Amino acid sequence: MFSSELLAQTLIAGVMIGVIYALMALGITFIYSIVKMINWAMGEFYMIGSFVQYALVVYLLGPDLWWVAAPLSAATVFLLGMVIEPILIKPMFTQGIERRDDYATVVTIALLLLLRNLATALGGPYQRNPGSDLPTVMIGPLPESGARFAAFLCTLLALALFYLLLKRTWLGLALRAAAQSRIGVETAGIDILRLDQVAFGIGVALAAIAGALLAPVFFVFPTNGVVTTVKGFEIIVIGGLGSIPGALVAGILLGVVESLGTAFISSPYQNAYGFLLVLLILLIRPSGLFGERVRQA
Amino acid sequence: MSGAAEGTLLEIEDLRAGYQRGVEILQGLSLAVPAGSLTLVIGPNGAGKSTLLRTIFGFLKPLSGAIRFRGAPIGGLRPYRVKAHGIGFVPQEINTFPQLTVAENLQMGGWTLRRDRKLLAERMEKVYATFPALAERRGKRAGELSGGQGRQLSVAREMMTEPALLLVDEPTAGLAPNLVGQVYELLATARRATGATILLVDQNIEDAIPHADRVYMVNLGRIKASGPAREFGAERVRQLIQECLLG
Repeated sequence: MFSSELLAQTLIAGVMIGVIYALMALGITFIYSIVKMINWAMGEFYMIGSFVQYALVVYLLGPDLWWVAAPLSAATVFLLGMVIEPILIKPMFTQGIERRDDYATVVTIALLLLLRNLATALGGPYQRNPGSDLPTVMIGPLPESGARFAAFLCTLLALALFYLLLKRTWLGLALRAAAQSRIGVETAGIDILRLDQVAFGIGVALAAIAGALLAPVFFVFPTNGVVTTVKGFEIIVIGGLGSIPGALVAGILLGVVESLGTAFISSPYQNAYGFLLVLLILLIRPSGLFGERVRQA
Repeated sequence: MSGAAEGTLLEIEDLRAGYQRGVEILQGLSLAVPAGSLTLVIGPNGAGKSTLLRTIFGFLKPLSGAIRFRGAPIGGLRPYRVKAHGIGFVPQEINTFPQLTVAENLQMGGWTLRRDRKLLAERMEKVYATFPALAERRGKRAGELSGGQGRQLSVAREMMTEPALLLVDEPTAGLAPNLVGQVYELLATARRATGATILLVDQNIEDAIPHADRVYMVNLGRIKASGPAREFGAERVRQLIQECLLG
């Protein structure tokens, strides 16, 4: 039954989840822009972020300090990324590897399998919930889950910090420059391999924030990153690979379409609405809404 | 051991380098760049001129041989370390960041000065004074500049650190003949403003030689002829090129 109240609630829910999805896509597209590779293991960094959040909340800080645990989870995964990158990704540039895309695909899929199976071996396949004491929030007359609303606000904060990092710091300037010309960055006297390492760390930390914030909503288990990774890639197809504004707009669009479809058509097909949107974009603008069109010879 | 002759800024000895194992583009090349000079490297296509610059700047690791800058070995160092020695590199293509503003491009050029804000600001003002067209467009994105202004920005970026040695790779390649003179004037301006020594690779031999102090002709990865620029008259250059092409 259609009602304007339900429509408003659905739109708000869509925007909120879409912005959080966009974090994941942002991580993927950010790493791609700078390191020029697709990290297929992003979902596993999301998963690790959620596990660290769970461990911190349940065993150390308690549910009241979930907001302290979230940045700590992101920082942990940032450091993990900084350790993994020189071992797995750096050889792509230092060992004379010709087919870098193939190399990156193979090593990140291997990493995906390793991390996922390691999580299963260490913690079992069970679903865990760090819990949330946050009360339901009223947006006007509309009720919204406290955990979800908090995740939304924290995501906005994370996006604002990410924006400030890119726009207001020397590191951000170097990262934006590297996305445009790696040779230009090298001739400026920057250690591009070090920059790759930092970019990889930041990218996986973005996925980890999403994992940490959504832990009480979508729970914590070894394969919880799968769906979010798929959403991340859907967003990239919709927004355009390498486009940061594209990731944000497409994330919101995907969230809204899925929410509308779930509310007004049929809830079991929630993921299918996103795929339909992807197909539609591929038909009308294959490079994505904000992607650069490739000139054909 | 330095082995550098007095007044020699860059010395290359028996340098061998290539992109694939077993295929040497530079086959034992030796040259010396006197401090304060504009040293020109000429030669036919595929002779190894650009490979030479890429190897000096660290984009390509030498297989053997020595590269010494002010007597210190720099062969095999990564580009950011070579840059720290006081060497700049202007690639063949316009080397700017199109989505960044002119000012941000210059800031990137001054990356190694980022902890000294005062010096960075002074250098930016000096660059703006040298290139007023860039000063007027400091808030514009580099991608919106004309081709000539883009080249100015490429060189201006390198001027930010006032390198002792500027490696310039084929700056006139693909340019209309009426623009070639502007490029040499641009290099002369950069040289005057910073006092940099320039190692220039150029295929535009006739136009480039009058601006050079010393010339090296490269063929098949080795030096075929070298000497003061005045010894490279049009007739001799034609004869050397002919010899290169005919083997």
